[in-house]
Amino acid sequence: NNSYQLSSVPLQILFYVNGIYYIFYFLVTLAMIVYKSQVFSYPDDFLAPDLALLFIMAILEVLRLYLGSKGNLTEEEAPLGLSLVITVGSVILSVYFLVWQTYVLKADVIINAVLLFTYGLESVLKVIAIAAFVS
Amino acid sequence: PPGIRAAARARTRSRPAPVTDVAKLCVCDLLVAQCDVNCCCDSDCSAADFSLFTTCSVPIVTGDSRLCSQKAAIYSLDVEADPPERIFKLIDQVNPSIFCIHATNYKQALSFSSPEMPASENFDQLLKQFGNPSFSAEPDSWNMNTDAPNPSDANETYRYKYGVPIQTVDAFLRLPSPVVSSWCSDVNPAGFLVNQATKCTRSVSVEKCGNIQAVSMLFYINSSILAVNITVQSIVVQSLNGMRTLLNGSDVLRLPLILDELCINIVLGVSYHITYTDAGEIIEAAASFVLGAINKEVLSIQQSFEISFTQVNTKPVPLSGNPGYVVGLPIRAGFRPQGYPFPVEILFAALVLNTNKYSQLTILQSTSNQDCLAAQGTRTPILFGYNMISGCKLRITADMKCQPLTQTLLDLLKGQSFPEYVASFGNSQAQDVLDWVPITHLHTSEQRIYNTFQSSCQIPVSLEIEVKWTKYGSLVNPQARIVNVTATITTTTAKQLPSGRERTIPIISSVVFTDISSPAEPGYKAWPTINAKLPFDFFFPFV
Repeated sequence: NNSYQLSSVPLQILFYVNGIYYIFYFLVTLAMIVYKSQVFSYPDDFLAPDLALLFIMAILEVLRLYLGSKGNLTEEEAPLGLSLVITVGSVILSVYFLVWQTYVLKADVIINAVLLFTYGLESVLKVIAIAAFVS
Repeated sequence: PPGIRAAARARTRSRPAPVTDVAKLCVCDLLVAQCDVNCCCDSDCSAADFSLFTTCSVPIVTGDSRLCSQKAAIYSLDVEADPPERIFKLIDQVNPSIFCIHATNYKQALSFSSPEMPASENFDQLLKQFGNPSFSAEPDSWNMNTDAPNPSDANETYRYKYGVPIQTVDAFLRLPSPVVSSWCSDVNPAGFLVNQATKCTRSVSVEKCGNIQAVSMLFYINSSILAVNITVQSIVVQSLNGMRTLLNGSDVLRLPLILDELCINIVLGVSYHITYTDAGEIIEAAASFVLGAINKEVLSIQQSFEISFTQVNTKPVPLSGNPGYVVGLPIRAGFRPQGYPFPVEILFAALVLNTNKYSQLTILQSTSNQDCLAAQGTRTPILFGYNMISGCKLRITADMKCQPLTQTLLDLLKGQSFPEYVASFGNSQAQDVLDWVPITHLHTSEQRIYNTFQSSCQIPVSLEIEVKWTKYGSLVNPQARIVNVTATITTTTAKQLPSGRERTIPIISSVVFTDISSPAEPGYKAWPTINAKLPFDFFFPFV
């Protein structure tokens, strides 16, 4: 059974697509925060947390994708499990940007919804992959 | 009673809630309980009123259009129906842009929030937030601290401004002056550029001769103005009978001491002369003293103090205003030295100023005996703004010759040195030639009929100086500026008198100040311009 490949191809494809989409997401969210600060009244007290959380989310995303990809390719469940845990944090941050941000524009709703859908799909595939690796 | 108090408290705590329902909001409803014309949202209008409207002044009432979906109330008139009726529609208006605001978690984002009513719970917090002299809507934690003193001020050298007390190493330069009564108070500071002269009384006695500080020279030159020592310029000793002598060596400090039951070397007067630069720094200070002596019977002396400021490298000329003339100060005048038409750069002082008051622009001073020839020499300076007239009576006898009489009268009217130029500003410097106005001389004759006997004597009988001045500068602080000075000498014929007879003619000299300032011109706003432009897509298919 060594010829069987346990690594999940759909998961790897999803990681790749997620990476590209996240770059787009990060740039769009940053640009929209800049736009909001110019058009609306955006005091520094509210701008600072939003920007900080966006950068934290970017760091978490990089970590998450790296660990997940490594775990999937080396067929180890530990990095994949850690990536799943970090996904929970990313989901919370995405919900923040969807619901608790200072100004939530329609574009924010759209891109965060897509991101959450991606996270959900990824989480399911990760659980399946972990189950495959463990057994 | 507690019930009323509670009701009052409830009344003060609550305020009418802002109307946010678009169906109830109507900005054209101005008249209460009456129908406003063409106001389709007015609730006071009936259907009959609506049928008379021509258009709706407020067609739509919406919330913030940046929101993704908001309620809108649309009012329109259906002119097709007979009679015209108003149509009211409440719809949800959708903003199609993807940058519309879906939700906001920031309270003050889209509308003005009602201010909090101060109550006992939030009073401290409100006081902390709004109790300062200034507060902003945004928290200033990220802004620069504007309360910190401007660091650039600390590096500036100390510069004196007008009126600022002159600082010394321990306190301020004192100029004792009478405060409430005529007794001297030593805490009057001398202000920069404020020329002062004060007189006050000090109680002394021979026994306490050496103990009273304020009569000792040391008291006045002890404290040094920062970095500048006060030097002793001259000492004048006044004896008991009032005679003053100037001492030769003035660098010796003479302290009060008892000599032959007299206390000598007590300070009767101090005169400070401070030299400053135009940057506002004091570079030199000198004091001139008048020392006197008192005997046992004297219980109080009068001290006089004076301070004057001179700019470095200028001659101390008393200003008559800065820059405009001050009413009551003498008019400054001067002469042009011989051979003037050199350029000003070669000549350091193009005009020689007369610092002696009595040879400035002066006018004859009337005396009690009114005899012109007896009162020669007494003249009074012309003060700005004060019209003056003076005169005397001249007794002409038969044996007076015409030419010397004319010359005497001219000297009488004009004075020994009648100046040629008058300063246009109170602080005009001698180097600025353009700031000086030449005096125009006119001669008129009293008789209208041209006398065919030209050889008869024409003697000047009146001098009228007309000074035309104008208001110069800003409207709120106009400065007086002399524009024109005309001296008119009026002559009359003096008929030859038969011998033994004498005649008395009045000689008059006068000064008149005329204000020729032009009235303020009204300033009007610019005419409104018609701003007519074609819409930018007027030439749509081609551009």
